[in-house]
Amino acid sequence: MRGFERYKVVSAVGALVLFVACGGGSSSSGSGLGSGALLVGVIAPFTGVDAALGPAYYAACLAAAPSINNNGGVGGRQVSCQQFDTRGEPADAVPAANQMIASNSNLMAVVGCTSDEAATVAPIINLHHIPMFCMTGQTEFNKTTLPYFHRLVPADIFDAYAMVGSALYGPGHAPYKRAALVFGNDIGSQAFVAPATNAFTKLGGTIVINQPITLGASSYRTEVAAMLATKPDVILTEALGSAGTYLKEVKTQNGGQMIPFIGTSATIDPTWFQQVRDAIGVADLTKYYGGVDLGYSFSGPAYTEFQTNLNAAASTFADAPKYKQRGSTLHLYDGIIMTALAMVATNSADPTVYNPKIKDIANGTSGATVVNTYKDGVAAIKAGKSIRFVGAGGENNFDKYNNSQSGYIWVTYDNQGNEVKVGQMTPQQTQDISAAGGI
Amino acid sequence: MSLFVAAFGFGLVSMSVIAIAAVGFTMQFGITNMINLAYGEVMISSAYVAYYLNKAGISIWIGMVVGALFGAAFSFLLNRIVYAPFQRKGTSYLGMVIVSLAISLMMANLLLPIVGYYSVSYQEGTGGLIRLGAIILTTNQILIIGIAVVVMLLIHGLLKYTRLGKAMRATSANPTLARNCGIPTQRVVDAVWLITGALCGLAGVVAALNSDSFAIANGAAFLITILAAAVLGGAGQPYGAMIGAVLIGLITELSAAAWSPEYKEVVAFGVLVLVMVLRPQGLLAKRGAMAAAG
Repeated sequence: MRGFERYKVVSAVGALVLFVACGGGSSSSGSGLGSGALLVGVIAPFTGVDAALGPAYYAACLAAAPSINNNGGVGGRQVSCQQFDTRGEPADAVPAANQMIASNSNLMAVVGCTSDEAATVAPIINLHHIPMFCMTGQTEFNKTTLPYFHRLVPADIFDAYAMVGSALYGPGHAPYKRAALVFGNDIGSQAFVAPATNAFTKLGGTIVINQPITLGASSYRTEVAAMLATKPDVILTEALGSAGTYLKEVKTQNGGQMIPFIGTSATIDPTWFQQVRDAIGVADLTKYYGGVDLGYSFSGPAYTEFQTNLNAAASTFADAPKYKQRGSTLHLYDGIIMTALAMVATNSADPTVYNPKIKDIANGTSGATVVNTYKDGVAAIKAGKSIRFVGAGGENNFDKYNNSQSGYIWVTYDNQGNEVKVGQMTPQQTQDISAAGGI
Repeated sequence: MSLFVAAFGFGLVSMSVIAIAAVGFTMQFGITNMINLAYGEVMISSAYVAYYLNKAGISIWIGMVVGALFGAAFSFLLNRIVYAPFQRKGTSYLGMVIVSLAISLMMANLLLPIVGYYSVSYQEGTGGLIRLGAIILTTNQILIIGIAVVVMLLIHGLLKYTRLGKAMRATSANPTLARNCGIPTQRVVDAVWLITGALCGLAGVVAALNSDSFAIANGAAFLITILAAAVLGGAGQPYGAMIGAVLIGLITELSAAAWSPEYKEVVAFGVLVLVMVLRPQGLLAKRGAMAAAG
């Protein structure tokens, strides 16, 4: 087969490539905890441009499972973790979610579901009545009607406000007045743009360029040239997976001199640190980078157990210990523990029964005993007490939409990639930015 | 205006990287009838071979040579062990495409636990900045353009002036007739896999060096651009791939300067669609070095 037929095959492959480029719930009875293993599904990108996200969530599950299993399990049932790769694409996420649910009748909870896929997988998971803890900041979940959806991190809009706060009020520099917005052109990254623009401009700053970039591109030379031509004081960015390439080009075209850059809370990540450190050097990273994060203490009995288990998880997943200061890892660890405690408290493996209890355990009810570990929680429940779980990520306060949030801090990295707190927004600053941003 | 001039300069670098890769890809197809969708993964594998050498303190320029040798050896073995047996059994073109897609996915998933999911960078300075008016390039980027020019000249010389090149063209045109004329087509095919594999490996290291930071996921992204250039120029035509690389490289950079950069690939692929509609066989089909005589 040669000639014209061969070209038909080539054309078909070309068309396929263009297409690519353009780019069941629990079966338990409802009373009693049942028997057999329980599974936590980690549905997230493990390949593709956002492949760095999934491992952070998988690490959370690997740390949470022994906390439960070493203390009697959930009524004797052992918890395990399984990855379900969405490739960061909604089209791949739907079959991944369906496969996860169809082939696992013992799902006790699902964690992960980033902004890449939450909009498509959350309704599916909700339909099957499985509690989920999603790492998405998308605004559409601010007032979600999905009762099984839980969010332990603030909406992206608050991340954006914290970044603006860092630019305007952050320590160690005069207020930045000219900001460049460099975010990936994916759904999740673009959620930061409008609130950051509103808040920054209404407080007297100028957005000199808003540059949505294609993640995973081989170079950003022209984009960087265009950005530098606008002479920004600071770059506000996320651009996960492409930060190293972009920032190295900034340094190169700017004559070896970096421009201050402020990252979202997602940039507090060991893989992001490594990528940018290797690209621009650790000295420039620690000097010019500022980030925002939720105010973690990284201490206390919950955190100690979390870190111990995370280190032990290295035998299963070598990179697990790197996530000791990753906010999402801490929160998802807490989410899994809270789910297990809710099951014990309701003595039920039926999610329609234990799902509402998760909120009670997170927020606490009047007179609740504060517990920090699964072991203490089970003991308190068996003693007939109501509990409030305050875990490795700190206190949770779910609103009626199952959204929980706490205050932000400004951070940077030390030479080893550890998070270092450099400041915190005052209540007045928070109020000013929120008002300017429209909240 | 100066941004467009600067973008033109950046386009020269992009097209150089694409050209090295696309010429190797299209020669594989033109001579062996194999649409090798694992090409991008071989590229990224070679980039990682160079990375580990570089990490061990070896210059990236030596790593580039080793990467090319790795690409040659790997591609040769890939054909001998996987593709050739399928082809001997008479597997259809489409079947071979699926086989190569399977190999691509297997490679990506086998590499993931070895190299990790995070981005890495070569420990190599970018060299000094060289300014030619509004065009600003680093020494490394100038070297990448130079490497591409030398490679293109060598390919031209190979195809036009050597016995092996003539045998390649004959094998491409009609392998049965070539065999009957005494040309050892199996050895020619082996040589093609070695040469194009070397181009693939070289392109992988050059692309990774050009990107400053790369990860396993880049393999698939490389392939899309390479296929676009190869199809645009006329599948199986090395000179067509060179023209395709020029167009794709320049269009992506210039469109990023003219409009929002998020549309740069949309514009490039839009041009590809237009060409495929107006001239489905590509720009140079039936006229290049690999075309059948007559």
